[in-house]
Amino acid sequence: MATAQDQAQAFVAGLAASSGSASLAEAGRQALADLPVPTRKSERWKYSPLTPMLVNPVRTAPAPAGWPEDVPTNPIPGLDAYRIVLLNGQVVPEACDLPVADGVVCMSLSQAYSEGRIGEGDEDWSAYHTREWVGAVHAAYAQDGLFLSLENGVVLDRPVLVHHHATGENVASCPRHRVEVGANAHAEVVLWSSAPEGASGMVNAVLEAKVGAGARLGVDKIQHEQGAVFQLAHEHVTQDKDSTFRIHTVTVQGHWVRNELNVLQHGSGSHTVMHGAYLPKGQEHVDNHTTMDHTVPHCTSSELYKGIWYDRSTGVFNGKVFVREDAQQTNAYQQNANIVADAGASINAKPELEIYADDVKCSHGCTVGQFDEEALFYLKSRGIAERAARALMVQAFIGDVLEGFGQVEVAQEVEGLLAQRHGWM
Amino acid sequence: MLTINNLHARVEDTPILKGLNLEIGPGEVHAIMGPNGSGKSTLASVLAGREDYEVTAGSVDFDGTDLLELDASDRAREGLFLAFQYPVEIPGVSNLNFMKAAVNAKREHQGLEPIAAKDFLAMVKEKAALVELDGRLRDRSVNEGFSGGEKKRNEIFQMAMLEPKLAVLDETDSGLDIDALRIVSEGVNAMRNAGRSFLVITHYQRLLDHIVPDFVHVLSDGQIVKSGPKELALELEAKGYDWIKEPVA
Repeated sequence: MATAQDQAQAFVAGLAASSGSASLAEAGRQALADLPVPTRKSERWKYSPLTPMLVNPVRTAPAPAGWPEDVPTNPIPGLDAYRIVLLNGQVVPEACDLPVADGVVCMSLSQAYSEGRIGEGDEDWSAYHTREWVGAVHAAYAQDGLFLSLENGVVLDRPVLVHHHATGENVASCPRHRVEVGANAHAEVVLWSSAPEGASGMVNAVLEAKVGAGARLGVDKIQHEQGAVFQLAHEHVTQDKDSTFRIHTVTVQGHWVRNELNVLQHGSGSHTVMHGAYLPKGQEHVDNHTTMDHTVPHCTSSELYKGIWYDRSTGVFNGKVFVREDAQQTNAYQQNANIVADAGASINAKPELEIYADDVKCSHGCTVGQFDEEALFYLKSRGIAERAARALMVQAFIGDVLEGFGQVEVAQEVEGLLAQRHGWM
Repeated sequence: MLTINNLHARVEDTPILKGLNLEIGPGEVHAIMGPNGSGKSTLASVLAGREDYEVTAGSVDFDGTDLLELDASDRAREGLFLAFQYPVEIPGVSNLNFMKAAVNAKREHQGLEPIAAKDFLAMVKEKAALVELDGRLRDRSVNEGFSGGEKKRNEIFQMAMLEPKLAVLDETDSGLDIDALRIVSEGVNAMRNAGRSFLVITHYQRLLDHIVPDFVHVLSDGQIVKSGPKELALELEAKGYDWIKEPVA
């Protein structure tokens, strides 16, 4: 029988070399040889082994002839946004609509490379490929994506929508995005990933961002994938002093999803908001690994992840919060709440706090429970049917996670999709 | 309006109702009194359709419908209302959205369009005034952070919104101070009419000073052992329940 490592080699054998940075690709290739592929034996992947993904080797899709006609480039009705669209990891330029303004550089990552906007040795901010096999795969086979850079003080007048569509059987996509928000600048980004029925393979996406002093970056990240795609998403964000970073991650639908979110506060006075919601059905798998790293004094973070596990769905919440020795006066909050709606579903929830400073306020809570049957009966006793009563309670449960979206249109679309999917209408 | 015939019910393996008979006519107010453990709250739960209770024998006819065949929400849509002894807190569900869903569920059952927003708000204003439920409480999550009195007033507000044919008040007086008792009772009295019946379940007579019943029944060990006019309640208050525990043939 083939070992996992053999399988891993075969899995990526059909991929085209990275179209991005040659040095990063080379570093990725070297790391691939050394890093173990995550199986049940690796602690960080114990409940999300990649073994089922490795069964079917993937290939890089040919360059797209154009954007598929039956897929809206902007999946969010009413959202007035700039737009960069990717098909299987490759930008489709004729379907993009990018800002042109003083102090704003917004283009494809490949164009940014060719214009020399990314310095030698500055291609990679996360060093993800040095830590994880998944990161090494990404680095070795990274494709195209968003390059957004705002000069100091620039406020982008509209959000930038990054729509990634994965299609075809056993296709690998490795989109890569880079966002740099200058001091006191402000950007909003909407990351939307979609896939049609019948799509399969891997989406291995990375977003690296730097939020400058006094700057703000907001991200609405929505996963709405049909088919059987393995989605591996990694965001790596560093914050300078007095900056704010916010991200809302909602998995509306996804066959197998692993979100890895790392936020590093480098400057004092920074604030971070991380919200997440997931409502998997069937045999879907959703894993959220987050790391909040407080390294400097006077910073705050607020993390709230909630989800409902239906049918035979499985998943993980792992939330790490580091408060380093110098990070006095940190105020860190983390809450994770889960409802296991059906007996066949399971969630492994693990908050991990490591606190090395002594003058801090840290609170965390983690709950795994069932629907409150008494509350359900109360609603039903007023004439509300079982299904509608459950819908009311679900909406109430995840309501506070869905608050604070950057774009109200995204929130509305997400609620609409969830309502459709779960029969709340 | 309601005919209960030889009703037997149990929780798990413990029989609680053991052959209960009761007839309530339109517009009548019946009080059920009885010692703790006699089955008062079980009767309320069985009528409302709580699934923890198993009916093992007997029948309940509600205005021509076999009540026991319906699930809890259908019973409510047919016009049954239970004011809970312990109203449930539901964080995140606003009182108003809750009531709108309930009112519209009933309207759908009656073949009516959903209520217009303007009409709904006018209705809320009118019904909330009945029990002096101020805007702050109407807009909050259902019962979340409400005092005991506020919760009971909210029950009566919901009853007024849903205009039931039969309202079952399960120990509505528990946890009420004298002012709240007056407000709740006035709310109930304002809703009394020739077509609406009430079943008032209480341990104490004092509620019946405010909501004056047409009939008083004594429940003991799962059966009604004595029935009489409203004066029976006073007699129970004076003498306690012990003298009546043995059924009078």
